[in-house]
Amino acid sequence: MLKFILRRIGASALVLLGASLLMFFLTINSGDPLKDLRESNVQNKQQLMDQRSALLRLDDSPWERYWDWLSGVGGCFTGNCDLGVTINGVDVLGLTQQAATSTLRLITVATLLAIVVGIALGILTAIRQYSGFDYSITFSAFLFFSLPVFWAATLLKEFAAIQYNNWIAVGQYAPWTIVIVAILAGFLLQAVLGGTTRRRLITAAATFAFVTVMLFVFNALDWWRNPMFGIAGVLVVSAAAGVLVAALVVGLRNRRALYAALTTAVVGTVAYVAFAPMLVNDPSWLLLAVLFVVAIVVSVAIGAAWGGYARKQVMLVTGITGLITSIMVVADILIAHWASFLSIKSRPISTIGSQTPNFTGGFWEQVLDMGTQILLPTILLTLVSVATHSRYTRSSMLETLNQDYVRTARSKGLSEREVIVKHAFRNALIPITTIVAFDFAALIGGAVITEQVFGWKGMGALFQDGLNAVDPAPVMAFFLVTGVAAVLMNLVADIAYAALDPRIRR
Amino acid sequence: MKIRRLSAAVAVAASGALLFSACTSPAGNDDPDAGETTATSAAAEGPCKADLGDITTAEGEIKASVEDEFLGYNSNTPETYSTYNSAVTDRLFSGFYYFGTDGTICTDEAYGTYEAVSEDPLQVEYTLNDEAVWSDGTPVSYADYLLDWAAQAITEDGKVTDDASETPLFNHISGLTLGDYVPEGPQADAADAKTFTYDYERVYADWKILIGSAFPAHVVAEQAGVSTEELVTAIQELDMTVLEKAAKFWNEGWLSQPGEVPDPAITPVTGQYNFKADGWEAGQYITLEANPEYWGTPAATNELTLRFVAADAQIQALANGDLDVIQPNGPTVDTVTQLEQLGDAVTVDTNQNLTWEHLDFNFGSGVFADSLEAREAFALCVPRQKIVDDLIKPIAPDAVMMNAREVFPFQESYDDVVSESYDGRYDEVDLEAAKEKFAAAGLKEGEKVRIGYAAPNPRRAAEVEAIKSSCDQVGFDIVDSADPEFFDKALPNGDYEVALFAWAGSGQIASGQNIYATGFPQNYGKYSDETVDEAWDTLASTTDEAVHAEQTVIIEKQLWDTLFGIPLFAHPGVIAYSSSLSNVQNTATQSGVFWNAEQWSRAS
Repeated sequence: MLKFILRRIGASALVLLGASLLMFFLTINSGDPLKDLRESNVQNKQQLMDQRSALLRLDDSPWERYWDWLSGVGGCFTGNCDLGVTINGVDVLGLTQQAATSTLRLITVATLLAIVVGIALGILTAIRQYSGFDYSITFSAFLFFSLPVFWAATLLKEFAAIQYNNWIAVGQYAPWTIVIVAILAGFLLQAVLGGTTRRRLITAAATFAFVTVMLFVFNALDWWRNPMFGIAGVLVVSAAAGVLVAALVVGLRNRRALYAALTTAVVGTVAYVAFAPMLVNDPSWLLLAVLFVVAIVVSVAIGAAWGGYARKQVMLVTGITGLITSIMVVADILIAHWASFLSIKSRPISTIGSQTPNFTGGFWEQVLDMGTQILLPTILLTLVSVATHSRYTRSSMLETLNQDYVRTARSKGLSEREVIVKHAFRNALIPITTIVAFDFAALIGGAVITEQVFGWKGMGALFQDGLNAVDPAPVMAFFLVTGVAAVLMNLVADIAYAALDPRIRR
Repeated sequence: MKIRRLSAAVAVAASGALLFSACTSPAGNDDPDAGETTATSAAAEGPCKADLGDITTAEGEIKASVEDEFLGYNSNTPETYSTYNSAVTDRLFSGFYYFGTDGTICTDEAYGTYEAVSEDPLQVEYTLNDEAVWSDGTPVSYADYLLDWAAQAITEDGKVTDDASETPLFNHISGLTLGDYVPEGPQADAADAKTFTYDYERVYADWKILIGSAFPAHVVAEQAGVSTEELVTAIQELDMTVLEKAAKFWNEGWLSQPGEVPDPAITPVTGQYNFKADGWEAGQYITLEANPEYWGTPAATNELTLRFVAADAQIQALANGDLDVIQPNGPTVDTVTQLEQLGDAVTVDTNQNLTWEHLDFNFGSGVFADSLEAREAFALCVPRQKIVDDLIKPIAPDAVMMNAREVFPFQESYDDVVSESYDGRYDEVDLEAAKEKFAAAGLKEGEKVRIGYAAPNPRRAAEVEAIKSSCDQVGFDIVDSADPEFFDKALPNGDYEVALFAWAGSGQIASGQNIYATGFPQNYGKYSDETVDEAWDTLASTTDEAVHAEQTVIIEKQLWDTLFGIPLFAHPGVIAYSSSLSNVQNTATQSGVFWNAEQWSRAS
């Protein structure tokens, strides 16, 4: 295994070296770095052109320039990084750090969401192959996958930002909107849940009634402007999530798992009540992180204590329940701060930027601000990536479901849940690892247009500005980060593959 | 496996390359006055800034867009010199003059005054306002202007420049021009004098815009390890040990890493705005706040935030209130249509700016080189009005065909200059007359005419298309020879018959000499005419404005009569702003909508 990894790293280094050489030569030959000066009519034009030639070393041999760049990069191994300066004299190393941070902030949530939603949709569509649900998801997946990003971004800004902000100023649904939303919700849910016509009708009718009543209640409470969720809400949703997770992972016949999940939800909610003053009055990222770790550890411990014969699985159940409870707790606090956030920022969803300039609010208002700023690009990036993930998962899952051992498992009389979760799903996930790993690497460099239309300056802008100015330093820095990320993630995927699939190991 | 990964890298690069053919045309703006009647607004009389009277700074923030990151306090190095950087730094510095909305030179009397005490030899005396002070309390003085001169006069070898062609010690965008004209430097009694004079070695027509703002000499002196007086002496005596340290700081010390607000100790300001502590987020925005030490009329609004936003994201950001003022670079018909759809909440103002498009003949070689008739035939078939109607009016409805080169249609003197220099003979296409001239020139049907311009440029492609459909009827065969390397190759080598490009108006009076006089560097077409050369010499060697006007008419007339080329139109510009703001005003100059940013206020 070690030999394999070393061999892979060696090969990757050579590939990176070759690619960097190619990239460098392509960049410096991609245009005329003196173009704007040639068109200028200032008196000391020649002097300015000489000055820029000297700055970019246009008169030196390209090999020499490449070698100098490479030595600068080589310095990174001895803690002496030098990625050069841009055409504007700014240090590229610092720029790259800022750009990478900004891009990571932009894509992390989107990537995680895309993975979770994409895989879930893939599994569901595979189980309900050729159903109306499958067809509509397939259709939407292809639709979103082929959306031109800049156009979709314009639509999102118009409806999810400008129109929403106009609406939230009042925050009341019109009756006909409520009816349409309820009909849509009823239709969607019956399509997903499936069953006989009678069952579908009941599902649709119940959903319709529930959504209609809820929305009218929200209107009456002015909920959209002064929303509240409450400790009861946290408890109910966490407990429900716990039951669902237990049912999926070990089945409801294992009562210990069910009780463990419920215990986790209750303990989580009680802990929330205990820590609420601290969380609301004196919050910080450190406190949140510490509390989160404690929450997961406690949850897993609860699982271990209830455990019984399926201890590992029960620990997984409680771990996930603990995670969901933690998210609910944060969500509750954020929802409680929405009204005060609206009073500071009356148009909450922005179309540009990663934060509101000079935003003055408490910790939670700032979290909300960052959340509303990142919302639109996240939706867009998620929609695009969900398509690939769901398609790959679906085909991988279908392939697994048609395997002999799945038929054997069914004929043994295992429940459908066990067949799908234990036998099919796990094996179907193996090829997905590769795609997920590579997708993350690709997103680091691939969010160029999203960055531009939403006014983020990340890796995409670094690359684009550099190329526009025929300025190799930032372009090469972009290449370095994305290239290394791609190589590393590929390596991780390979190793994970070997770890997951015993057949690969030698 | 290896091959696949490599090709992925290439694909990333290639798809990137497709996306990034963005535009970099100069942004500029308009003339009309947007006079409004709220408490703090006053209609501007003429092109200079309106007098707002006795106002106080109102709380609040105005957000406007620029398209690129702020680079540093010193906008005068070639690395940092851009309209986007100046959008910030122009707010930080007061100067003796600024350009009004139509390019008029306006003076800022709160800062200081200047006058020519002698016309020939030219001697100019500058007097700073006694109250003019850096935000750290140090008065603005002679030392600052001596340093400003040193940065544009001293060569690498520690001498005062002889002919501005040496390598300069300071990395100044204007090179050594000032030192060339004023080798002695400004003269005053003491380092902290408020009055100083410049003795010009020869008369310089554009003396009014040679001296503007200055950098703080006391900061540079401190960084070089000397006192301000010692720095003054070092400059006067060309003491290189001090000057090298000073130049090093001047060149590099004011560059900023994005997001790190410069240390107030090394960046004092003299303008209405100053940096705000923690007000700069890399890649996102920079916020300026009113400078409490400013002695004159203060900024109307306390905070001014410049957000870095690409042109295509600006309109929706304005609609959503994320921005209050926008000026999209390279506006198209779509830009204007979208802005107008936003209704009353947004005010849109279009104009023509100081960049103008023109067709220039090649006098070095080719069919037009020696034949006035051939040039006339071409000029008679170019559908100038149609080009303006089809391509420019949809953006700026009041755009007109341009009939001069040295003055713009929105300037006061335009009508006078045009009526005396041009009789309107090429205003309308006259194919019959063109055919006659074509025959008289002895040209044969299918004469190839290459119109060269820098590709890609859709608007110029459309212009060439329009010219082709008209001029091909006369007998020319118009060839669209667009080339990404037009300025690099075709133009200097003379591989064209007609060049299509734009000059950005500099605000200078005598800069046209570079373009039209024999043997000057920007005279790409190798045009040569005695009358024109003589008129330029006369114009450039006097400061008398009457002579300037008189010679301009002579030059314009001769350029029309000999057909140097054909002016087409001034580029359109668009600004849009939230209707709750007052005093936002379009300008034709390159400073863009920010030119009077300190006067913007929000109606409460």
